[in-house]
Amino acid sequence: MTTTLAGGRAARRQTMRRIRPRRSPAVPLVIALWAGAAAVLWLWWDNTPSLADNTAKILAAGRITGLLAGYLMALVVLQMARVPALERRVGSDRVARWHAMSGRYTVSLVIAHVFLITWAYALQAGKTLGDIVQQFMDMVTTLPDMGKAAIGTGLLVVIALLSVGGVRRRLPYDTWYHVHLLTYAVVFLTFWHQITTGNEFAVQPTAKTFWYGLYGAVTALVVWYRILTPLRLNLKHRMYVEAVIEETPGIVSVLIGGKKLHRMGAEAGQFFRWRFMAPGMRFSSHPYSLSAAPRPDMLRITVKAIGDHTARLRELRPGTRVWAEGPYGALTAQRRSRGKVLLVAGGVGITPMRALFETLPGASGDITLLYRANSTQDLALWDELAAIADERGARLMYAVNSPDGERPDISADRLRQKLPDIDDHDVFLCGPPGFAQSVYDSLRDAGVPARRIHHESFEM
Amino acid sequence: MRKSHPIRRVVLAGAATVSGIVLLLSLKPASDPASASAAGGAAPPAAAQESAQGGAQAAGTSTSTGDAAQTQYGAVQVRITVVGNKITKSEAVQAPQGGTSTEKTNLAVPKLNADVVAKQSPDIDTVSGATYTSEGYKKSLQSAIDKANAAASAAQPSQSASAPAQEAASKTLTGTVAQTQYGPVQVRITVANGKITKAEAVQAPSGGQSTQKTELAVPKLNAAAVAAGSADIDSVSGATYTSAGYKKSLQSALDQAGG
Repeated sequence: MTTTLAGGRAARRQTMRRIRPRRSPAVPLVIALWAGAAAVLWLWWDNTPSLADNTAKILAAGRITGLLAGYLMALVVLQMARVPALERRVGSDRVARWHAMSGRYTVSLVIAHVFLITWAYALQAGKTLGDIVQQFMDMVTTLPDMGKAAIGTGLLVVIALLSVGGVRRRLPYDTWYHVHLLTYAVVFLTFWHQITTGNEFAVQPTAKTFWYGLYGAVTALVVWYRILTPLRLNLKHRMYVEAVIEETPGIVSVLIGGKKLHRMGAEAGQFFRWRFMAPGMRFSSHPYSLSAAPRPDMLRITVKAIGDHTARLRELRPGTRVWAEGPYGALTAQRRSRGKVLLVAGGVGITPMRALFETLPGASGDITLLYRANSTQDLALWDELAAIADERGARLMYAVNSPDGERPDISADRLRQKLPDIDDHDVFLCGPPGFAQSVYDSLRDAGVPARRIHHESFEM
Repeated sequence: MRKSHPIRRVVLAGAATVSGIVLLLSLKPASDPASASAAGGAAPPAAAQESAQGGAQAAGTSTSTGDAAQTQYGAVQVRITVVGNKITKSEAVQAPQGGTSTEKTNLAVPKLNADVVAKQSPDIDTVSGATYTSEGYKKSLQSAIDKANAAASAAQPSQSASAPAQEAASKTLTGTVAQTQYGPVQVRITVANGKITKAEAVQAPSGGQSTQKTELAVPKLNAAAVAAGSADIDSVSGATYTSAGYKKSLQSALDQAGG
């Protein structure tokens, strides 16, 4: 008894030594973003001695919105450059939400900029608001690089309209994604008018340098992390489909072989964006989590067949080449700050949890997995989970609908009853949005602080 | 997973942006305090009297550059060339650039330059469609004239020798605008009896290093044009693009003289 206790303590100490929670760089990044915005406003402020009348004020407002839009445009692209600090430390899901949010804001600024500038120039030319269309045409045809900018802005508006929630849901993902890639063309087309007609850049050489620096840096990061890094990864590891296994009805695992796969630096809880070189799948890549800790010769993903793409996974032939980008995602052991961990999985959300369940360091009784599914038949990977639980002395619980279809009770009281010290746990949560939200609320009610609930959600 | 309130977020972001911009706009003064004091009525250096057009190398030539006058579209700064007690040339060494400002500057500044020489006074007409630039131009011109007067009274110049009147025989020709990568160059020449008696740049690149280069190169090019009597002049080293543009515009002015 004594030895077990001592062993338990020693093991726990060892675990704690390995737990070094890393802070997400989100706060410094947001501060840097605001500092940049302030610098951009300073460009305008420094270059504008006075504003005599309303026309000048409208023009100034147009310039400010234009400058901010130009600045944010660069950041919106940066957010999708797959920079490791963003993808692995801040979290891909959070960065994607930032991207959507700042994208919408940028489009609004662009529209305001176009309207205000045209209006102000119309007033200057002694025209009224009614002549605004004609004034717009004049500007586009006479000023340098404005033709390009107008085409770019038109494209941007189309892209924005296709990304509005309702429209986007009706589009096939691939169509939406490829249209979205046109944003790079938008950035290129609209960049030049900023330099050639932008008052701040025509007059202040430092401002021009700053702008070239900003856009140059973003371009370099995009080329490096979206093109060169994946190229190197795939040339080095040469991945292919080794086997496809049906886990439960509708859930398949794909085993992926390759060279030195442990050298990719993937951690349990992370995902890759996968592209399978099979007919109809070549042109789209999809994010799937690793459902087991990476091995030198094999990776495994487990996927629920809900869409076209996922259904096709079942028909993959062994030997099919695989193109992967990653690893991405911040739902890893690095988030942990406590000795005890509760993993909560809903449905196919089990995949990253399964990998964490296997690899999170912990003594007997430190790790608990709660697995929610519709029925016991839907508990994919259950046998593996049971084996891991056995071996590690971890707790494994499931919650399924009762035979009459009633949902299981995952309330704060019930959680506390099962885990009396739940407020001293780190919780990793993965599942469909409705499920994740309700579990999150129960966890908060049960006294788990928000900073110790780690979840990933790709809902916008 | 904090609950997100998309509508609230949109309203907040919109309201914050609008009020931020309105605040910035309201913090800017209606007129620039630095240049307001430059406005003051002083007489032009001389009454407009019969006098010949001064050549580029005429004795008693002096230039005077006014203070930069800030306008809401950018700074305007005027330099005048005074020969004897007559303004023979006026040019903007700085003028607003960017957006429609470039167009307006290109439109207004040559007119203003010509008007100064014609009227010999800062009381020139505002170019419609370029009100702010015109106002800034007048302010800076006034300060240039003040400086020229101060310099003239300090030096006590001798009576300027009036050259014989050749006005009937002389004509002024302005070349087309030649675009260079640093900005447009436009040359005006005065031709009397088939000879170039004067050459000047009514437009030349300004802003940043361009201002310095223009100041360095244009006087040399002016002199070279008068000396050579053709567009076959040497480029000023360190100002290759401006020189090339100058020559192009000069050639087009000469073409007009020939035809």
